[in-house]
Amino acid sequence: MSSLPSTPAKVPLWRDIRVLRWAFQLLVVAGVFALIFWLYNNYQVNISKSQIQTDLTFLDNPASFTIPGSDFDQSQPVRDALVLGFFNTLRVALVGILLATVLGTLIGIARLSRNFLLRTVAAAYVEVVRNLPLLLLLTFMNLAVVLQTFPRIDEAWLPLDLFVISNRGLALPWFEGSGWVLLGLIATSLIALWATVKIRNTQSDKTGTPSYGLRIGVLIAIAILIAGWMLLDFTWTLPFVEGRGTVGGLRLDPSFFALLVALVVYTSSHIAEIVRGSILAVPKGQGEAADAIALSPGQKMRLVILPQAFRVAMPALGNQYLNLIKNSSLGATISYFELTQVAQITVGNGSPAVPAFTLTLLVYLFISLITSLVVNYFNRKLALVER
Amino acid sequence: MKKSMIAVAAVAASALFLSGCATTETTEETTSAATQSTTSTETAASVSLLESVKAAGVVRCGTRDALPGFAVLDDSGEHVGFDSDFCKAIAAAVLGDATAVEMVDLETADRFTALQSGSVDVLVRNTTWTATRDGSEAATFLQPNFYDGQGMMVASDSGYDSVGDMNGAIVCVSKGTTTEGNAALESSRLGLNWEVRSFDDTDLILEAFIAGQCDGWSSDVSQLTGFRSAYPEGASALSILPEVFSKEPLAPAVLDGDTAWAQAVNWAILATIQAEEFGITSANVDQIASSTEDVSILRFLGQEIESADGSAVLDPSLGLPTDFAYQVVKQVGNYGEIFDRHLAPLGLERGVNALWTDGGILYAPPYR
Repeated sequence: MSSLPSTPAKVPLWRDIRVLRWAFQLLVVAGVFALIFWLYNNYQVNISKSQIQTDLTFLDNPASFTIPGSDFDQSQPVRDALVLGFFNTLRVALVGILLATVLGTLIGIARLSRNFLLRTVAAAYVEVVRNLPLLLLLTFMNLAVVLQTFPRIDEAWLPLDLFVISNRGLALPWFEGSGWVLLGLIATSLIALWATVKIRNTQSDKTGTPSYGLRIGVLIAIAILIAGWMLLDFTWTLPFVEGRGTVGGLRLDPSFFALLVALVVYTSSHIAEIVRGSILAVPKGQGEAADAIALSPGQKMRLVILPQAFRVAMPALGNQYLNLIKNSSLGATISYFELTQVAQITVGNGSPAVPAFTLTLLVYLFISLITSLVVNYFNRKLALVER
Repeated sequence: MKKSMIAVAAVAASALFLSGCATTETTEETTSAATQSTTSTETAASVSLLESVKAAGVVRCGTRDALPGFAVLDDSGEHVGFDSDFCKAIAAAVLGDATAVEMVDLETADRFTALQSGSVDVLVRNTTWTATRDGSEAATFLQPNFYDGQGMMVASDSGYDSVGDMNGAIVCVSKGTTTEGNAALESSRLGLNWEVRSFDDTDLILEAFIAGQCDGWSSDVSQLTGFRSAYPEGASALSILPEVFSKEPLAPAVLDGDTAWAQAVNWAILATIQAEEFGITSANVDQIASSTEDVSILRFLGQEIESADGSAVLDPSLGLPTDFAYQVVKQVGNYGEIFDRHLAPLGLERGVNALWTDGGILYAPPYR
């Protein structure tokens, strides 16, 4: 019988796997940093030869341009212009994400419909739009639809006498009064709605009578809105054409409209496919069980299928939202003053290119990271807890 | 099992180690090469673009491809226009061959970045000379080849007779130009509340203007004249309002810090103006060179001048060949010829761009 081996010999440092692992990782990291440092050094040397600024003092220079749709004056600093551009990007991104999700979900569900016409139209929409480049779609929206199909301002369409549609924009009826107060009013009515539903539901759980929480809540919310509207002196303003512009109401910049529609159409076709895939990923047994307990098709979709489908769809949807945010930078090609347009103009007016565009990139990174955080939060909340 | 795992780990580790070694070696090499290259680029800075252009045998000229009169592409894809001719004049002066030029089309918004990065040697792109561009864009501007001003173009049936009528109008401009700033300034000065929309490309402005989205198109008067002549519905459908609201001296530009190159390009431009002052054209330059007695013309054309001590040719040590002016006039023409060839057909008058002897402000320093 051979003797058991004695305690293993001590492994020398250069053969010790734990040391080696750390050593290689450190070497590779050092290599990457050395490369970045070398590139940055080159940039510094080249720039110092030509006396171009590399710091952020350009942010204090006067902008020398105006931004349509705002009170921005051309003597205000570049910093203010970039902030305005940032808010314009947010505006188109938020509205775009909302509309694209709604439209995409509807089309995704329509593709699975039993109705032949609905199914075919939805399939055609998705297949056509998904295969077009966004820039092309945007150029088409701008040139063919907004510029050439929409009429000139002197021949503007006035549907229902409420809207003014021309190639200078879309004018909607809007309220006259403080926006913040209105927001507060809407918030109050929504809280009242939620409270009513909660109270009626708990009462209904105790006594067994139907709650009708939603119906009563909606009535109360509407009552609060109307009362607040009249008491706080809000009025409607209707837009009408005067000279070469519109007076009154809210005017949507035609570039904003073209960009929004292009983004929504494009992203919704992708979202439709994601939603369709996620609905098909819900186990078939769930749908059959829902039928077995006599849920209507609408209830089945709303209560059983969609909640489970969204759990699957959430990561992919988050990706589409990030794409939409980044694609909004194409607004620069049609003179919508979002962040990229403002950055391009300031660089053209003499701001140093590398700091300005690096700043813009960082802002987009910031927006995207916040969106990812929000999506991941919802992802985690919806995730199935596995034992 | 354990042994083979350790063996695999060792092989993988050595592979990584060697590649890690290689990256550190190359990064060490590249950092030392970087210090070497920085010293060599620092010494290269004292080697002028003039030498490197002569060595390369081609002048890279930053220009554009769709401005009627100044630079357009003809049927064979060649650049034709006022600015293009000046690019060719620079090539004729420095290299002796007007065709030794590479035209690089640039967007308005990144024309200066191209100059700063060295993608082009000279920018001849109807660019306005301003203090900010001299400073923060690190550009050196040379003899303006066209003194212009900013104007406003509107549809003839719009009812506008002057800029002051355009209250609340939508004005379209090109991105990253002096026009943008001037339009904003003019709007606030006259209290007109314009909405200024800026586009990358003049094609986009044209589309918006045709569709009626823009009330006015503001740009240099020479540009507006060019676009008006090429307007699809005819030039009479547009009118250029009488007000000119800024000075726009359009001048070629080179990068700061290279005096030899700047002076060489400058004298190439000045040669065209001086030639017109002497009455030398591409048609009569040979005849004048061989038969004139005028010493200043002989000097200018780099011809031998007989004197008591023998014959000599003037070489002012600009780094240019002594007969550069002759080549420029022979291969491209004098200023008047270039103007008449490209800008007169658009309807532009010489105006302030005439010679100083004709009431204009084009005045070349003496070549001696």
